Amino acid sequence: MLLQQLVNGLTLGGVYALIALGYTMVYGILGLLNFAHGEIYMIGAYLGIIFLGLLIQWGVATHSLILALAGAFLLAALYCGAYGFTLERIAYRPLRHSHRLAPLISAIGMSIFLQNYVMLAQGSADKVFPHVLPSGGVMLGQTPVSYLQLFILVTSVALMAGLHFFVKRTKLGKAMRATAQDHRMAGLLGINTNQVISATFIIGSVLAAAAGVMIAMYYGLVNFFIGYMAGIKAFTAAVLGGIGHIGGAMLGGFLLGLMESLGAGYLSSEYKDVFAFLILIVVLIVRPTGLLGERQRERV
Amino acid sequence: MLAVMASGCPSKQPDVIRIAVAGPMTGDQSKQGNDLKNGVELAVAEWNDAGGLLGKRIELMVGDDQHDPKQAVAVANKFVNSGVVGVVGHWNSSASIPASEVYHRAEIPMITPASTNPQVTDRGYVNVFRVCGRDDQQGRVAARFVVEKLQAKRVAVLHDKTTYGQGLAGEFTRALDELGGGRVEVVYATGIIQGDKDFRGVLTTMKSKNPDLFFFGGIYPEGGLLIKQAREAGLALPMVSGDGVIDPVFVQIAGGAAEGTYLTFSPDTTKLPGAQAALAKYRQRYGEPGPYSFYAYDAAQVLLEGIKRAGAVNGFAVSQAIHTMTHDGITGRLQFDAKGDLLTTQYVVWVTRGGTFEEYWKPGA
Repeated sequence: MLLQQLVNGLTLGGVYALIALGYTMVYGILGLLNFAHGEIYMIGAYLGIIFLGLLIQWGVATHSLILALAGAFLLAALYCGAYGFTLERIAYRPLRHSHRLAPLISAIGMSIFLQNYVMLAQGSADKVFPHVLPSGGVMLGQTPVSYLQLFILVTSVALMAGLHFFVKRTKLGKAMRATAQDHRMAGLLGINTNQVISATFIIGSVLAAAAGVMIAMYYGLVNFFIGYMAGIKAFTAAVLGGIGHIGGAMLGGFLLGLMESLGAGYLSSEYKDVFAFLILIVVLIVRPTGLLGERQRERV
Repeated sequence: MLAVMASGCPSKQPDVIRIAVAGPMTGDQSKQGNDLKNGVELAVAEWNDAGGLLGKRIELMVGDDQHDPKQAVAVANKFVNSGVVGVVGHWNSSASIPASEVYHRAEIPMITPASTNPQVTDRGYVNVFRVCGRDDQQGRVAARFVVEKLQAKRVAVLHDKTTYGQGLAGEFTRALDELGGGRVEVVYATGIIQGDKDFRGVLTTMKSKNPDLFFFGGIYPEGGLLIKQAREAGLALPMVSGDGVIDPVFVQIAGGAAEGTYLTFSPDTTKLPGAQAALAKYRQRYGEPGPYSFYAYDAAQVLLEGIKRAGAVNGFAVSQAIHTMTHDGITGRLQFDAKGDLLTTQYVVWVTRGGTFEEYWKPGA
């Protein structure tokens, strides 16, 4: 039973971590809490269902289910990337040099807007993920682990490894780190910081899209409201790990997933969501910079 | 503000009698709200085609309570201020109870087609009626089924912490203790959060208690996810639940996992001979009826008949008229006791088979 709860928690944690990365990367570079990020994840979940439905209708799924799923993932990621890019251009870039509360309010506004936009466009009833996934799984001793849980774990870890490589090894990744360290200096050294910021939003949105499609597969049910709770949980994960710190978001996501799962299993499922926010409060009191975060220098 | 929309032109003309229907018209339970609306609309259309009521046209107002108790009160106040004569609704017990306080103060009759919690009528309000059964009756039939037919020894009980879900689970547990005579043990009991999507933590703990079956008091979105995730977690045990889960969306969500789920509900209305004419009309206008469509239809018929008998649009007089009348509706003979409950109700057990619901078991005498 403990092992089963751990598997449940890690699966959920992988998804939280993917969303938390988007929060933390944007915060690292802009010092902005992008509260509309949860809605990008929700849009990703919808797009996964829509595109998979289309691909099934076109007969791709009967040909190869893996191809159809890969297609749904890719299309959802592309679309969400475009959403992230546009979000930054419309809601944040015009406010770049204004008071730091302005983009925060703009983010909350975008969150409300996107929720209602999806509600009006897609209806307020739950959308069901097509029943095409193979059931079953592998036995880990006494514990059954479904293929879906394995898939989510492997995919989220692979995406995180890819992101780590990208940030540490590529030129754009280096430019991102430089911009995060000192916006103005990076600009003076010839880095196009606007491009770097756009890229950050796109990457964060692609990760959120992957999380969204996976959660749609996992729960089999989405509605326009799921981005709100997931966004707050992922924000908690990012703060827990140390906001602005990429490794911290990953650690925070997994820890939060584990604590929620163990809390629901051993203490009380009625207070499941309470654990997440209790953690947020405790972290903010005891260690405001998070587990891996460093002391923030004063921002200008 | 958008929650209340008048269908048709909201006019203040005196030659119109206004009644209302309320339920969750948007959100994850919107299917039920719209079934209610369709049933009432059909009844109103029939009366209007036959020349209206007391020489006036009937106008229907639709209120969306979003299965939220606060919203239900707002909708009720809006109805009262618009001069509504009577209300069919609400769907959820947790919405019906607070809304009925508002209707009670305004002396407006309210007939719920679906709220089964005992508290709806147990407060003894003269203006509150229901055309469905009560959870103490329903929970007892479920408990009898579990003891007599399934002969379970170890039972887990889950509920969604709402007035309806927790109430039904409580009635079920009480009846189980009484009927089981110490042979049936409740090995695990807990609440879940309505709107949550992940129940794997609860199900894993439940699995370790090794029950023969589990009972769920709640509504179909959570019911569908519970049984789906239970199967994925390798639990092969059956789910027993109530009338909140019996909806096609339950099967849509759960897919193959829905097979063999037992649900307590009233006998199949679509198979009754008296239902065929209304059924044909309903199908033509709205497609396949939901489980509550004809309860809403019957509730509207009772309300309109009551207004006709009272001969006035006075809420108190209409309530009195409904208390003394007998109406042969689609769902059976409707006659109310002093509290506003039906004199005769019958719960049976349905089973999910081949993606649809069918009657399965009837409690013996």
